Amino acid sequence: MGGFLLASVVLRRAEVLGMSLTPSLNKLSWVGLLAVFAATGCSNNDSSFVYSERTTSLMPEAQDGIPGEADDAPGVLGVKQLLDDRFGNPQNLKAWLKLPVDFGGTQASVSEIVTENDQFKVKLAVEEGVALPEAPKALEFITGECVGETIAVSGWDAETGEAVLASAPTKQPAAGDLCALDGGGVMRSGRVLYMRHCSHCHGTAGDGHGPTAEYLNPRPRDYRHGVFKFTSTNDMSKVSRDDLARVLRYGIPGTYMPSFLLLTDAELHAIVEYVRFLSLRGEYERKLVNELAGDYSAKAAQSRVADGENRTEIVAELREFLAADLPDTATELGDELAEQWSVANTPEALIIPSVARVPDSPESRRRGRELYLSKTLNCADCHGVDGAGNGPQTIAFEKNPITNEMYNEPGLHDVWDNLNQPRNLQTGIYRGGRRPIDLFGRIHAGIKGSRMPSFKNTPHEEIWHIVNYVLSIPFESEPGATGVAAPVSAPVAAAVAP
Amino acid sequence: MKKFWALFFIFWPVVALYVCWIAPSRGWWFPSKPMSSLGHQIDGLFYLILFIVALTFIATQAVMGYALWRGATKKSTEKAMFSHGSHKLEIIWTIVPSFILVFISLTQLEVLANIRVISKFPDEARRAPIAEVMARQFEWRIRYPKPGTTLATEAQSGDLYYVNELHVPVSQPVMVNLRTQDVQHAFFSPKLRVKQDAVPGLIIPIWFEVEKAGEYELVCAELCGWGHYKMKARIVAGSEASVQKYMTDLEAAQNEDGVADAPAETEE
Repeated sequence: MGGFLLASVVLRRAEVLGMSLTPSLNKLSWVGLLAVFAATGCSNNDSSFVYSERTTSLMPEAQDGIPGEADDAPGVLGVKQLLDDRFGNPQNLKAWLKLPVDFGGTQASVSEIVTENDQFKVKLAVEEGVALPEAPKALEFITGECVGETIAVSGWDAETGEAVLASAPTKQPAAGDLCALDGGGVMRSGRVLYMRHCSHCHGTAGDGHGPTAEYLNPRPRDYRHGVFKFTSTNDMSKVSRDDLARVLRYGIPGTYMPSFLLLTDAELHAIVEYVRFLSLRGEYERKLVNELAGDYSAKAAQSRVADGENRTEIVAELREFLAADLPDTATELGDELAEQWSVANTPEALIIPSVARVPDSPESRRRGRELYLSKTLNCADCHGVDGAGNGPQTIAFEKNPITNEMYNEPGLHDVWDNLNQPRNLQTGIYRGGRRPIDLFGRIHAGIKGSRMPSFKNTPHEEIWHIVNYVLSIPFESEPGATGVAAPVSAPVAAAVAP
Repeated sequence: MKKFWALFFIFWPVVALYVCWIAPSRGWWFPSKPMSSLGHQIDGLFYLILFIVALTFIATQAVMGYALWRGATKKSTEKAMFSHGSHKLEIIWTIVPSFILVFISLTQLEVLANIRVISKFPDEARRAPIAEVMARQFEWRIRYPKPGTTLATEAQSGDLYYVNELHVPVSQPVMVNLRTQDVQHAFFSPKLRVKQDAVPGLIIPIWFEVEKAGEYELVCAELCGWGHYKMKARIVAGSEASVQKYMTDLEAAQNEDGVADAPAETEE
């Protein structure tokens, strides 16, 4: 880019020179222009995922690994390398098999390898119930000797699953190796769509720090906690694919998240998978750093040295930890995340009320109001007695649970450290959706990442009463008119068409 | 050579004239045929102006062509006529255009009134606006009245909500109330020839009658911020029955309580 700018300046210069000076000078400026291009080359626009501030606050050795020194002190990988090995960068996303993310394509395993007449053929088998693609264009090895190699498919027999490869792989694949036919399509289109529609707020790495994020309140979601607020899953579960698709489709009223209803289902699916990929990457990074942050952050190392420890010894200890403990932890972490993000899509994770919604009635609203004000549920502590979102908690100072420091401003904060005041229930704007089941879910599971707790032990019938009351708040004749049916004011259509 | 250039400059106006002539029938003038009743009136105005402009163009080009040809064929001894500063000529080319402008402005009054003046709206549209379209950065939020009731200016319990998709009955005039939650936006549906700014603090009624069932683009036509390009929705026009069914389904979806006997989830 810099080269281009410079070149365009020279070009403009050349025009001026060409008009006023002799042709030979004009020629010279063209030579200068070429020289600029030669010096700068075609600029490289590769982007990369930024590492979190927590990662970059580790000791440099923990971030980047330690090179080998002797046979008894082999090189060890740092957090950044561990992360990149598993997730890649935006140009080269890694299909880490463990991830419950749909990378696209068909996965198959090599059952037989045939080399005849200079043709390299592999016979592929797919799992039962999976259909072989009709005309795959490329084959990528996911495991085995040839891992990472992508080779064009020049001939294909959909009946037998026999693929003729355009060129022989550099190494010899073995039967049982896994490969993907036309793999990565979903991720690639997800990345393109994400870059176009999402990254200017949510950032390339999903850190919620895109260029337009600064101007927004509430701030765009930072995916790297792996936490999403508006889910249909229970309080212990992650967000499901359907929840993410729902938010993309219908937007979040009351925030800057717009609706992407006009995107096709395939496009939405690609974006959802890409967001899941970014969330998994961020959460993995976060949890990996958690293992190191206590003892090996730059700050911790500094204070340890101040306490009389030798830095070389700390690095030796870190080497030991990175070599012996971290790889296992990383594997466990991957398994754990894969499990959590998969389970969220199962029916078991969904909140299903045990009773149908209690029909809306003045009695039900009154009961809901009682519960709302009750000492046990204490909704009014945050949302205020009239539901205006101005309960006593909103003017109390609270402590950051991670750093144990007081926040600068009063009010409730979410896990992203943003001021996150309780919703004003009088506005009739429901960020997580206005269906009764949406409100039921907000109360039952709480709002993940925020201070809205889960009330999963409250009987479902009581939750429905509260839902009925909350839905009636915007239409109360006066604030706090306890459960009395708000008279619906006569339609005033005439008012707009005088 | 002089004659060549005279013919050359006469040739291009003839081509332009031909293009003007066939443009309306070929649909070169607009992105599509008008799909609403108002659209025909609006297009009529455009074609009227095209006609006037083409006529003026013919007249001026004919004079120019004549002058060029005369210049190319006249003898070198013939003297040129000097006409600069002619009072008569200036009066003519001031009065004639002003008559044309007055004519255009009087002719379009009726159509403008049909678009903008609420008392000229068709009665059935005016009586019951079908929806409120609330523009906001960067989407269109739609609020329909609860089936069986009329739309109120303020949100009512039981109102139905959707985003970026407006369903309207076909072949009947419909009115929507246009509002904005933040900055200026503009409700623009090119095929329906509807374009109206949404202004903060105002409720602006607009009406249109879709002639053919189908999906129509609705975009924002007022640069409203960095996400302006995303502000795209669709207008779905269908039969009265299909719109009613849509409303019933929407009401059911909005009252979804997640218990099995209720209709299946609408989302994926």
